[in-house]
Amino acid sequence: MSSTVLSIQNLAKNYGSIKALDGISYEVPKGSVFGILGPNGSGKTTTLGIILDVLKSNAGTFEWFGKPSGPNTRKQIGSLLETPNFYHYLSAIDNLKITQAISGRGTEKDIEEVLEIVNLLQRKKSKFSTYSLGMKQRLAIGAALLGNPDVLVFDEPTNGLDPVGIAEIRELIKKLSQQGKTIIMASHLLDEVEKVCTHVAIMKKGKLITAGAVDEVLVNEDIVQFGATEAGKLFNILQNFPASTKIEMVDNFVQLHFLLGTAQLDQLNKYCFDQGIILNHLSLKRKSLETKFFELTSN
Amino acid sequence: MLNLIKIEWLKLKKYPAFWWMLGIVGLTYPGVNLMFNSIFGTMSGGKGMEGQILKQLIGNPFAFPEAWHSVGYFSSVFVMVPAILVIMIISNEYTYKTNRQNIIDGWTRNEFVFSKLFDVLIIASFVTLAFTLVALIFGFNYSTEIGRTRWAEQLQYIPLFLLQSFSQLSIAFLLGFVIKRSFIALGIFLFYFVIVENFIVSFLKYKTSFPKLANFLPLEVSDKLIPPAAFLGKFNKETYDQSLTDINMHVLYTCVFTAGIWWLCFYLYKKRDL
Repeated sequence: MSSTVLSIQNLAKNYGSIKALDGISYEVPKGSVFGILGPNGSGKTTTLGIILDVLKSNAGTFEWFGKPSGPNTRKQIGSLLETPNFYHYLSAIDNLKITQAISGRGTEKDIEEVLEIVNLLQRKKSKFSTYSLGMKQRLAIGAALLGNPDVLVFDEPTNGLDPVGIAEIRELIKKLSQQGKTIIMASHLLDEVEKVCTHVAIMKKGKLITAGAVDEVLVNEDIVQFGATEAGKLFNILQNFPASTKIEMVDNFVQLHFLLGTAQLDQLNKYCFDQGIILNHLSLKRKSLETKFFELTSN
Repeated sequence: MLNLIKIEWLKLKKYPAFWWMLGIVGLTYPGVNLMFNSIFGTMSGGKGMEGQILKQLIGNPFAFPEAWHSVGYFSSVFVMVPAILVIMIISNEYTYKTNRQNIIDGWTRNEFVFSKLFDVLIIASFVTLAFTLVALIFGFNYSTEIGRTRWAEQLQYIPLFLLQSFSQLSIAFLLGFVIKRSFIALGIFLFYFVIVENFIVSFLKYKTSFPKLANFLPLEVSDKLIPPAAFLGKFNKETYDQSLTDINMHVLYTCVFTAGIWWLCFYLYKKRDL
């Protein structure tokens, strides 16, 4: 079987003169938790809408499991797109019976199981219209889990959930990933992506900025800032410091970059002292994912 | 196909508006027929010559075999009741985005439109069943002993009623399908049903040299499947007989017209972003 679950080639979508998607391409490896990250309006949901066949692309192609998409491929994928979409006058059980009947995923017994996973078993007979936003979201996740599909597509899965609910969904996603499932997840929450994703695609204004393994794309690092009266001399001696990845001058300070967690200030201080430089400023800055994200998505 | 009907039944059977609609149909069908029965009673019940002539001339329109025709004609006026339901069913799918969820879960777009076609067919079948029951009750109640033996003579009005209901509900569906908002679609349907088409029919009939064109208006084309009941029509026998003869052609026209509506729905849904 192919090791690529989803392959997208030059996908484009216009709304009038607005390019919602501008020729994006990437591949989702089997078994990955693939985060599609980007600010609002970057084209995340549009991408998911196209790969789930509810939106028509203007150009480009995509393949699921190495084959062109069709109803049978969609039946194998548990999806939550944008909002929880259910019949408001039906109970959770009746709604999931419809999901089950259309997709052919799972059995009536499985319905109870997924409702238990998403903590809705006690409210299984309540009408969907009586649910809180968080409960609706959990039911949508339950519907996606029905029949234990190998591929899951989640669009902003923690939308509307309280902090406990968010943590539970994170744990669930990690657990599903450990079971070997492929999870494609759109989010604008960097924290969420950082905590659960193995791969990421970063989008901005319909364009793909970068895509790949999280460690490669969102390299986090330590940055140490040095200050001394003789900034030029300081720069020269720090240039030769082993294990640093990058050196730069910022506002009369020298900044040295290290891999995450490897910078040790006492050693650095001693190194400078041994080289005859007395520091008047030394501080460690952790580059947050947020900074990295802004860096990637800014011009 | 059977699976589609099964799924639509899952959606329909717990939809309160569906049972409300059936309840209202269950009241309005007998109600309107009782009303016209009473009007006929008043017209024919006088002791004068006119009443006696009318009674002898056409018999009781609510007795067999004419009951099928009369009850069908009067009941068909209330197509707006199931039309409300049809419009709500499709606009609900848009409002709650369940139409896109059905596709995400694995239906093709054609399957979705087929499922809605079955909804309209199910609703048309239910109102046809209601009409059949009312016609049977009226027929047996108002027929003489001899009349009762003629109960099966005009059974063609059952499939005609079904076709007419399906065709007119399909128009309501198309409006809901295209407009997506139930109140606007319903407003347009009622406005067209009550005012616009009647106005155009009168205009074409009396103000133009091509009155036949009126027969091809969206509702009129299937209205002709059940022409005005005999006791309304017999005052002009020639027109009445012509209207009975025209039924066969209107079956064909209605089928073509209704097929066109559904073709349009399938076509639009294939092209659309959901």
